[in-house]
Amino acid sequence: MNRRGLLSAAALAVLMSTTSFNAFADDAFWAKAAEPYKGITIRGVSESTPSSNYAKDVLAKEFSEKTGINIQFETTSWDQMYDKAIKDMEAGSGIYDFVYIEQDIIYSYLSRDFLVNITQSLKDNPSIASPTFKPEEFTTFANYFKGENGDLYGMPMEAFIKTYLYRTDLFEDAAVKEQFKAKYGWDLAPAKDHKQYREIAEFFTQYGQDNDLELWGTTVQASSGHPASFYEFVESIAPTYGVYNWGLNTETWAATVENGGTMNSDKAKEALNWWVGNLQYAPPESTSSTWDEVAASFSAGRAAQALVYGENTAWIATDDTKSTVVGKVGVALPPVEPGVMEEIEAGEGYIGYYDGGAFGVPHSSKNKEAALLFLQYIGQNDVQVDWAVNAARVTHQTTYDDPRVQEQDEKTNGYYTLMRDQGKLFGGAPAFPFHGQLREAIAPFFYDAITGSITPDEALDKAAARAEEELTRLGYRKN
Amino acid sequence: MRSPVTGWLFLAPTILVLVVFGLVPFIYVAVVGFFDWNPFAANPDLVFAGVNNYRRLVFDNQFLRSIGLTLQFTFWVVLSQLIIGYLLAQLFMRDFPLKGLFRTIHTLPLLVAPIAVGAAWRLLCVPGLGPLPFYLNRWFGIDFRLGSFEHQAFITTVVMDIWHWTPLVTLTLLAGLSAMPKEPFESAQVDGANRWQTFWHIMLPLLKPVLITTTFIRLMDALRTVDEVWMLTGGGPGTATRYIGLHIWRVVFPQTDYGYGAAMSLMTLYLTIMLCWFLYVGLVARKPRAS
Repeated sequence: MNRRGLLSAAALAVLMSTTSFNAFADDAFWAKAAEPYKGITIRGVSESTPSSNYAKDVLAKEFSEKTGINIQFETTSWDQMYDKAIKDMEAGSGIYDFVYIEQDIIYSYLSRDFLVNITQSLKDNPSIASPTFKPEEFTTFANYFKGENGDLYGMPMEAFIKTYLYRTDLFEDAAVKEQFKAKYGWDLAPAKDHKQYREIAEFFTQYGQDNDLELWGTTVQASSGHPASFYEFVESIAPTYGVYNWGLNTETWAATVENGGTMNSDKAKEALNWWVGNLQYAPPESTSSTWDEVAASFSAGRAAQALVYGENTAWIATDDTKSTVVGKVGVALPPVEPGVMEEIEAGEGYIGYYDGGAFGVPHSSKNKEAALLFLQYIGQNDVQVDWAVNAARVTHQTTYDDPRVQEQDEKTNGYYTLMRDQGKLFGGAPAFPFHGQLREAIAPFFYDAITGSITPDEALDKAAARAEEELTRLGYRKN
Repeated sequence: MRSPVTGWLFLAPTILVLVVFGLVPFIYVAVVGFFDWNPFAANPDLVFAGVNNYRRLVFDNQFLRSIGLTLQFTFWVVLSQLIIGYLLAQLFMRDFPLKGLFRTIHTLPLLVAPIAVGAAWRLLCVPGLGPLPFYLNRWFGIDFRLGSFEHQAFITTVVMDIWHWTPLVTLTLLAGLSAMPKEPFESAQVDGANRWQTFWHIMLPLLKPVLITTTFIRLMDALRTVDEVWMLTGGGPGTATRYIGLHIWRVVFPQTDYGYGAAMSLMTLYLTIMLCWFLYVGLVARKPRAS
């Protein structure tokens, strides 16, 4: 062996021994810190999403093996998750030791003082503070889970953007491109604005009919009895028309145009008309589709383009046991109205939803220390890469640089790169303490617009008036 | 020696359970109904509102619509279940091959939890995947989409409830039919009564107690339907199947409007009692006409 080879072998040996020692030291910490809580069972509830299921199936098991702390991890539907968590925290029954906190509900939880201050708890109890958990390693998304004092109240566990997915096999097919150009006069490519998106939707719906395919031009997350439709409009459609924060004036909480809001503005009406109009180019299940069914429709090859929550991108693009469009998925920024991108780049708005969630420990938990240990375990840098590869979520800055993530990035046609480079164009939900209350009050008008029992314009006029009435009743609205 | 004290001692556990799980929650709900209480309001505390929540009810179009929808739903499911249940009970009174097997299969829906019934029907109804939209389109050219058409959603919830609960009606009516004495029917046959006269003048009066009991059970069940419908349609499309139980759930839990939800619950209870009372007076307590 020459000198260079010898040095390399020595360096490798040192690296391996250091890594093994660190791993051993880490394991020793978890075992020691968990010693007082060994054998107890902590309970958590979360939404059944790719990220949560990974935490349940992989991370919770690893944690239990290392600590002897058992975890009962319930993953359920979005509605049920909130129902259970809020009832538990409201009643102070202490059933759950950690709960899922979606970014849009954190402000309601903080206003009700439901959550334990994680930063302060770890300072107060250094014996459970893991040396491998470093909050500074989080991306800026963690800021959404901080209180006014800058302390962390939720351990970020997923962060993703709602992207525009399209079928590369269709968009790059020479014959299809030729047909498209002949009909619309421009080269088929991911839509930059709503007009282009509509033309693509119309084209592929017709293409599906002409070729006897189960193919439509777009998905629409338009369940007419589930808040998913409301969210698609206020989070992903209205902002691309320049209507932000659900159309509420965040100083006075006005919603109507006459009082200074934008919920029933011309832009908002244009947006809702466009979105409802897309239903004629969407699969028949669209009026029953929530976020899950939209992902399922696209993965089943039933739509040429879609707005899909990014947490689904990895499995849609790479898992051939669940998806029929593996290797055929492209990602792009959602289409916007002319002029809106300039507004967003100037920091005056956002293009779509930067979604995500965290796990928090309720004050009512009976096993706070054990729950905090688990939350730190999933907040470590070491567990992030596999999680990101499996569930297309990134909460740590260095995750993007890992070769496995970069490999997955290639398979998803650049989803991770898009999130890293263009994530700044997306925004989390506005800081409403009345989030669920207002949604419940006005969502029925959107359902009625979907079924066509009222026009989109009427729906927004009624929703805006109802929003002001509800916010006045709740004591937030200022005249 | 028996004493009243011994009797009260035996009754005490039952009374305790009734007070703790029946009376106390009822009083709590009644009290909360007089307050504005939303934990996510600017003021999350209870604020006395007098009868304001009840006044709101009168002008709440969604509440009134939900009540109307619930009454329509109840009318159709109870009526259909009584008719189909009676016909099936008559069928099971006769002998035919594989009767035992058929009776067992017919009873199976009763064993399924309402939430699972809703889930199963939802899978049956998914456009593009479920068999119902597929065959309705192939055989009758019907564009079946629960998320788009209000009347389809309403009818489907009615059919689902009929499928789920008719076996209960069949079983209770079957028990009533089995217990009937043969003599009046034999006498009617001797007297030359036709089938309609036998049904109207003998069968129905004899079956009346069972019919009334079954009607009341199904009526109260139908008025508080939540889980099946919540699973199948979520109350949609729009608010076409937002029956009162579902509406109250949405107001109390996702909207956390506890005071208003409590008032709504009490008003619904009052309307249910009134409906049952009218029915009772109409069917049971009516004085016989003087001959």
